[in-house]
Amino acid sequence: MGQYFMFTILSIVTLVSAYQMVRVRLITHAALFMALAFTAVAGIFLMMQAEFVAAIQILVYAGAITTMVIFAIMLSGLADIKSERAKKGGLWTKSDPFVLVVGAVFAAFMSYLYVAAKLPQAKSDKAMASVEAIGRSLFTTYMIPFEIASILLLIAMVGAIILTAKEAEQE
Amino acid sequence: MTLPIYLPLGLGALLFGLGLWGALTRTNAVRILMFIEIMLNGVNLNLITFSRYYWQQNAESAARAPIITLFIMTVAAAEASVGLAIILNVVRNRGSVDVDKINLMKG
Repeated sequence: MGQYFMFTILSIVTLVSAYQMVRVRLITHAALFMALAFTAVAGIFLMMQAEFVAAIQILVYAGAITTMVIFAIMLSGLADIKSERAKKGGLWTKSDPFVLVVGAVFAAFMSYLYVAAKLPQAKSDKAMASVEAIGRSLFTTYMIPFEIASILLLIAMVGAIILTAKEAEQE
Repeated sequence: MTLPIYLPLGLGALLFGLGLWGALTRTNAVRILMFIEIMLNGVNLNLITFSRYYWQQNAESAARAPIITLFIMTVAAAEASVGLAIILNVVRNRGSVDVDKINLMKG
């Protein structure tokens, strides 16, 4: 019973903040709603006993990516970037209802598939893999993908620095 | 787990649908990037849910889903940093973040 209660609260928070991200005018507010949605999803990960993923979720998504988005908004001193321009009829543009239908049809179809697949009841009550097990297999079986991921992050960092530091060089 | 598996899976699908809606309708490039992150999060939620319900039989395969999720998050972080750098450059060069106005390559 407590599980249902927690799941309901967390999913309502997630969905409402994702909806608010679409609706809210100021983009800084949208970024903060994104952080709230990520934190609620981290709570659901905790319910799934995936504490490692929940911690990474809060560190990377709610921490790093949100901060980076807000920094990018602040760094470009453009009024345009901060808020959606008031269009005719507010934020509800012509394409909105159509694409909303597309998204809703996708979600309904996926939900239908999940129900129609008649997934078997969960067999095991075993606990999720511990952080120790994750670390052990990350540094033995998945050693090479791990190193490739670190190279990817390095390349992304160098690329971001080169892309943004070009202007400062010329001045 | 007493919670039926449909509930978290449905939440992941709804999150993906909402992200799709936002990413396709908004014209602000930063906001589109944020919705792509939301969509990736819905995918992660599905992965972790399936792992929690079905992949716990032996210890060898149990750690796979968190590791795949870790890699997805790595790629998402790399994508976000490079994407925001590109957007900052576009703002400097064109003076706009509106993706409808970035039409240099339009025939």
